[in-house]
Amino acid sequence: MSKTLQQKNTRYFLIWLPVVLLIGTGLFYILMSTHAHHMEEEQLELKQENIWNALLTNRESVASHITGEYDLLPGTPLHADLFNTLRDTSIYYPANKEWVAFKILTGQRLLKGQPYELTTYISSKEITHLIIKVFIADVFVFILLLVAIVIINRKSSGLLWKPFYTTMKEVNEYDIIKNQSLQLAEQTGIREFDQLNQVLMRLIGNVTLAYSNQKQFVENAAHELQTPLAIIRSKLDLLIDSAELTEETAHLLADITAANDRLSQMNRNLLLLTKIDNHQFPDQSIINLSHTLEKLLAYYQDYYDGGPLDIKKSIQPHITIKANTSLLDILINNLINNAFVHNIPNGWVHVSLTPQKLTIENTGHPIDGGTDRLFERFTKGREQSTTTGLGLSLVQRICLIYPFRLQYSYSENIHRITVDFLSV
Amino acid sequence: MKLLIIEDERSLLKSIVQYFNQEKFLCETAISYEEGIRKIEDFQYDCIILDINLPGGSGLQLLKYLRQNKNKDGVIIISARDSLDDRIAGLDIGADDYLTKPFHLSELNARVRALIRRKKAEGASFLELGNLKIDLPARAVLFANQLIPLSKIEYDLLLFLMTNKNRVVSRQAIAEHIHDGPSEQVPSTDFVYSHIKNLKRKLKEKGCQEIVHTVYGLGYKLSL
Repeated sequence: MSKTLQQKNTRYFLIWLPVVLLIGTGLFYILMSTHAHHMEEEQLELKQENIWNALLTNRESVASHITGEYDLLPGTPLHADLFNTLRDTSIYYPANKEWVAFKILTGQRLLKGQPYELTTYISSKEITHLIIKVFIADVFVFILLLVAIVIINRKSSGLLWKPFYTTMKEVNEYDIIKNQSLQLAEQTGIREFDQLNQVLMRLIGNVTLAYSNQKQFVENAAHELQTPLAIIRSKLDLLIDSAELTEETAHLLADITAANDRLSQMNRNLLLLTKIDNHQFPDQSIINLSHTLEKLLAYYQDYYDGGPLDIKKSIQPHITIKANTSLLDILINNLINNAFVHNIPNGWVHVSLTPQKLTIENTGHPIDGGTDRLFERFTKGREQSTTTGLGLSLVQRICLIYPFRLQYSYSENIHRITVDFLSV
Repeated sequence: MKLLIIEDERSLLKSIVQYFNQEKFLCETAISYEEGIRKIEDFQYDCIILDINLPGGSGLQLLKYLRQNKNKDGVIIISARDSLDDRIAGLDIGADDYLTKPFHLSELNARVRALIRRKKAEGASFLELGNLKIDLPARAVLFANQLIPLSKIEYDLLLFLMTNKNRVVSRQAIAEHIHDGPSEQVPSTDFVYSHIKNLKRKLKEKGCQEIVHTVYGLGYKLSL
């Protein structure tokens, strides 16, 4: 599972910083105790020097034993290896009833021709306490450091990555179909993000150019096709009226005429589609949708004149909507026409309108394959070789402009298309 | 009647001329802006059929020139551009009608005839074939002075066939014509069949002879 940059970053810090700090703490402890031992050794040596000096000056005035300070012994009872090396010992203090740890150092000297051993003592309790206290302080400092680093890192990475998130948001909102331009910040204050924005703008610029070229091509092609189509149509009109028409040629001509008309229709819809994509329908006005629907349904009623389809309607009066007149006409016409064309004998069409939405239901065969491609270009129902396959695509593009939410559902031989006006 | 056709696509021009010659029109042609201007200045026409994209200038410019010179000839624009704006622009400058390419010649004929009828206000407000008579102002159909009640679509259908009488009109042309309505999407031509059937039945009920002829699977022809 992916985590955010910040989470990931914090996680790395939380894993590795304690390890580093632990190693640091260990090193710190070793260094500190080494230094402490060195200091103890120096203090013991200094003490020895002071006592020897006192002994040389006046042998009698100096006691040969002071507990916790020194021991002076004649002879050489100690093994020579232990001379001048730091050793540990402990002394019992009856008054406090406790053992106290000491460091000791033994040296040997000749005093008036006689060898003496001098062992000096220094308590290691204080230094141990000091080490512990410093160590605890160090742990506190390290924890503070860890928390501070994580917090500062989170804050600063939030600030650092801000241009990135801004860019991501803008790119995410960019929709090539909507014909909008994308302007990303050129100066974010961070060179990498400046470069990222430049690269993205170049990429999107190229893609937009390719897309608009494509659209231009379709538009030009459709435009150029109009004239030959017009010529073919006019020649066919002349041909079907010629005197030499036989039944056989008539059937051929009927097929050619039908195919040519379908081609013209398809071409016209393609042109319309590119125009919608190019936003060539900017004007908006308040349209009485109830009125438009009633008029259209009356027209279909007349057209299909008591035909095999039953028209049911529940249209609330005086429902208006702000849109382009042509586009709304195309939208409604295509939806309703669709409901009539893709129907079954003795089926019905039900149109209902509320201020929120337009619902068109009709009986019909289930759609072959998935419904996700329903609104794409050239997706056709079965047995419908005479349709252009562009009707619902037009509907979808128009809905995208306003935007209306377009929904399709099918259950028990009933197709239902809903246009939700209040979406977004 | 005199017709001027200004269209640079020669093949299409030839078809239009041929069709209207058969309709007993006198046809003049022009294939460029300049030639169009010259012909407009030389003669008066009952109707001018004008393409928009012309070599040497736009058809709209030509129309502007025409109207500035107080020329009241009827003008029908034929154009490959079919947006509402193009239509409005054309009609604003003074075109009488606007037809989008590709069109059926029978449709063009119907438009030309309707325009000429409108221009000659006093003239033929009746169309006749034998005993069948269409009263245009009243939108009524009479057979031997008996009223035949027709639906709007049946009336439009009969008028269209009458305008193109003695010619075969394709089912597609009929479908497009009677569907002069709001949609880009022309409904299936199957319904032309049912309307023709109803029309034939209503004519027969009033004693009218078989005048709507079915021409194989192609279309229909109105003739005695």
